[in-house]
Amino acid sequence: MKLLCRLAPWFAALALAPLLEAQDAPSEAPSPPTRVQALDVPNDSGHAIEIRWKDSPAPGVQSYEIFRSRLAGEAARGATEAPWMSLGTVGPGEETWTFSSAERGVRYSFKVVAITADSRADSEIVTGESRAQWFDRDKFWILIIGGTICLFVILFIQLATRGRKLFVRKIAGLEAVDEAVGRATEMGRPVVFVPGIMDMDNVQTLAGLTLLGYVSRTIAEYDAKLDVPVSRSLVMTTGREVVKQAYLEAGRPESYNEDMVHYLTDEQFGYVAGVNGMLLRDEPATCLYMGAFFAESLLLAETGNRIGAIQIAGTAMPSQLPFFVAACDYTLMGEELFAASAYLSGDPKQLGSLKGQDVGKLIVMGAIVLGSLAATLALWTGSESLQSVVDFLKLEMFV
Amino acid sequence: MTPLEDIHVILATDCGSTTTKAILIQKVGDEYRQTHRGEAPTTVEAPFEDVTLGVLNAVTELAELSGRRLLDDEGRIIRPVRGEEGCDLYISTSSAGGGLQMMVAGVVRSMTAESAERAALGAGSIVMDVIALNDRRLTHERIERIRQLRPDMILIAGEVDGARTDKVVKITETIAAADPKPRLGAGYRLPVIYAGNRSRREEVTRVLGGKTSLSIVENLRPTLEEEVLLPARERIHDLFLEHVMQQAPGYARLMEWVDADIMPTPAAVGAILKRVATESRINAVGVDIGGATTDIFSVFGEEFNRTVSANLGMSYSISNVLAEAGLANVMRWMPFTMEERDLRNRIKNKMIRPTTIPQTAEELIFEQAVAREALRLAFIQHRSFATRLKGVQQQRTIADSFEQDAGIESLVKMMDLDLLVASGGVLSHAPRPEQTAMMLIDSFLPEGITRLAKDSIFMMPHLGVLSQVHARAATEVFEKDCLIVLGTCIAPRGTAKPGKPALSYRLQLPGDEERRETLRVGEMRRHPLERGAEARVYLDPARDFDVGSGKGVPLEATIQGGTVGLIVDCRGRPLSLSSEPAERTGALKTWIEEVGVYSPEAIPH
Repeated sequence: MKLLCRLAPWFAALALAPLLEAQDAPSEAPSPPTRVQALDVPNDSGHAIEIRWKDSPAPGVQSYEIFRSRLAGEAARGATEAPWMSLGTVGPGEETWTFSSAERGVRYSFKVVAITADSRADSEIVTGESRAQWFDRDKFWILIIGGTICLFVILFIQLATRGRKLFVRKIAGLEAVDEAVGRATEMGRPVVFVPGIMDMDNVQTLAGLTLLGYVSRTIAEYDAKLDVPVSRSLVMTTGREVVKQAYLEAGRPESYNEDMVHYLTDEQFGYVAGVNGMLLRDEPATCLYMGAFFAESLLLAETGNRIGAIQIAGTAMPSQLPFFVAACDYTLMGEELFAASAYLSGDPKQLGSLKGQDVGKLIVMGAIVLGSLAATLALWTGSESLQSVVDFLKLEMFV
Repeated sequence: MTPLEDIHVILATDCGSTTTKAILIQKVGDEYRQTHRGEAPTTVEAPFEDVTLGVLNAVTELAELSGRRLLDDEGRIIRPVRGEEGCDLYISTSSAGGGLQMMVAGVVRSMTAESAERAALGAGSIVMDVIALNDRRLTHERIERIRQLRPDMILIAGEVDGARTDKVVKITETIAAADPKPRLGAGYRLPVIYAGNRSRREEVTRVLGGKTSLSIVENLRPTLEEEVLLPARERIHDLFLEHVMQQAPGYARLMEWVDADIMPTPAAVGAILKRVATESRINAVGVDIGGATTDIFSVFGEEFNRTVSANLGMSYSISNVLAEAGLANVMRWMPFTMEERDLRNRIKNKMIRPTTIPQTAEELIFEQAVAREALRLAFIQHRSFATRLKGVQQQRTIADSFEQDAGIESLVKMMDLDLLVASGGVLSHAPRPEQTAMMLIDSFLPEGITRLAKDSIFMMPHLGVLSQVHARAATEVFEKDCLIVLGTCIAPRGTAKPGKPALSYRLQLPGDEERRETLRVGEMRRHPLERGAEARVYLDPARDFDVGSGKGVPLEATIQGGTVGLIVDCRGRPLSLSSEPAERTGALKTWIEEVGVYSPEAIPH
């Protein structure tokens, strides 16, 4: 019995031996990803390489880790401690990775490592280089559309230069400028021009100053008084130049006075208070608001309306348009403000550009209408061909 | 003057530039009728230089024709009526010697200067030039112009009352510097009327008082929102009588003869048209096309406007019509092709021989084509002049902000026009009334339902001045004798492709006769309807067409007949003629044949 007791551990050890052997022996390594490729991503400026591989056929792969090295080819293969850098990990089933911070013209080495719970299998090392392409073929339609618009712009400029009358619809607000200045002349009161409250880096301010030139020329011809309060020093400087030039062109340089354009304050409501005070004191016959406006729009226009002035406003701020429309006699809305210089000057280049852009807008509007209809019908009928039209418009033409 | 109720015989003369026309109006039964007409050459120029000689000659002819003795042995008009001789009332108008020629001035061309122009035109004058601060002329050019033109009178307007500026004083300084002399009479000062800023009167008097015969009247634009024309017009009339007429040869004597103030001819025409339109509550347009000028009068909603297109006429100004309209526009009204050279020669011939009249059908068609363009251009000018006051604060709705139409809307709205009256040689003396009607329709493009008429013997001036003293007689004669009603034009407004249905209508003629028809775009139809007869029409326009009650909305109305009858014009408004010559001439021939404008054999092939 004692012998049995002494031998028992040995029997137990013999019985468990196969099990213990199975646990200690190393597991079978996964087969590495095959057909690894490093390809240049097309239609870019040479900053991305796409790594592709075939999913490992062995079970148990939990993820793939992608590595890159600046050492290319043999150097990377030969190096025992290649400076491999992990780019990231993707789950099983994934077969691509885009290395998007590649340096143009540098040949990189890549490997994909299949990872199981307790082992890793490296793929073969491949190399790839990113190159810049001259053309992004995905944007082919943009090229076509852009080219078409440019052709129309050139065509219309040519037509305008040869004397063809290009129809530009009348902009009521601009047509009314003469009348508004005339009113000020007959009443012996000034014309107030407010070029918005933004600085010279705002395109609306630039458009406003273009209009100031036109208005000043008319005022110079009528020998009326002009008052331009501004809220930015740069706008004041530019405004003075614009008005001076207009008086010169009208043949009345002696009537120009630089105090016509004067600075009030940069503060939004301080500026509004200043302008409103002027409106109430001087009771101008005409007020023009052309530029970028915010909360002050209604404060100014309401005061102008109250003193009985003819008011013409123009802004591309959609949120302020309703206030101007409600309080002013005429309002230039959005694009009209920018189209004004072409409209006023009658310059063939500007008119041609305006017409060409109109064609572009027409194309976009047509595509929107077509896309909306196609999307609606595709949803309704489940037609694949209609869906492909929608996809084309979404992905090819405008994205 | 004989009391109004006792007036039975009225003698009226109109001293024109070339002819003095006299008419006799008599009470026949209970109504006044124009019974006889006589005329004689005007004698205001050398060698006679006495307008009364022409008047006496015309009255003599009238007396011979009527068998009524109107002049006594000393050559004076017999007044009042004595049995079968004499008249109760003698009145006269005058446009001899070029009529009343004025210059007007204002601060802004489209505001006070335009008001001054309106006042002057309404008073029957010809506006020779308009001076304004923004007329893009330098001061010395203005001075030179004033000296060159030598007007009969100058009207100055400018600024609203209390304006804090001296612009109107600058204008008067320019006029003072020109030291203008009147056209007639060397020994008197030029009449100048100041109708501007009240607070500048003293300065204006200081500047102009010593150099001109200055009169001051109420400001034409006391505020920009109102226009007060009457005081200025009355003063123009007074000065015309006091100064201008006194200087014209023989007029001082003529003024002693008349029972009412002599009126400038255009003012008289405007007066009668305004009275008739106001009394009948209709909108009316009158046109008088002459050799050198075309006058257009309009009364819309009691708003009277007159324009003189000084460079559009059928003889002296015919070349200018061609220059302004362009050859293609004249040619488009001709149902046959003509050599351009031939056409230009004809025009020059007419200009240098202004009294010639067409000898062949071809010439007549050509002359009427030119008339269409002259009338069209004059009417465009009129419509752009007859607008709301400029410089007024607008009360625009949000919907207005999205309106694409930026122009200032004319007061002359064709859909609201009720009566279109034609006068002047080419219209009044057209061989067929259909020709007058077609010329009016083609050039004025009436819309909806419009009555067409012509002044039979250019009697409107006489009736205009008569309306100032005997309104009833003037209105009765105007309706019964003056106007030859041509008929009614029905023209739906709108356009569509040729051949599409435009208007279906049912015509209830006198005697229970009924006609139903559907006209297509590009078609015209004429239905005879005698003068004085009335018919009921039921109009059912197509979706894109409007006959006065809205697009596609039916309308029922009573129409008047005339020498032409009813013309239904479905050519569309605005009218566009084909640019293809064969197609256009084909269409013209169809319309000519349908309306009976020319006989088919008159049109050359």
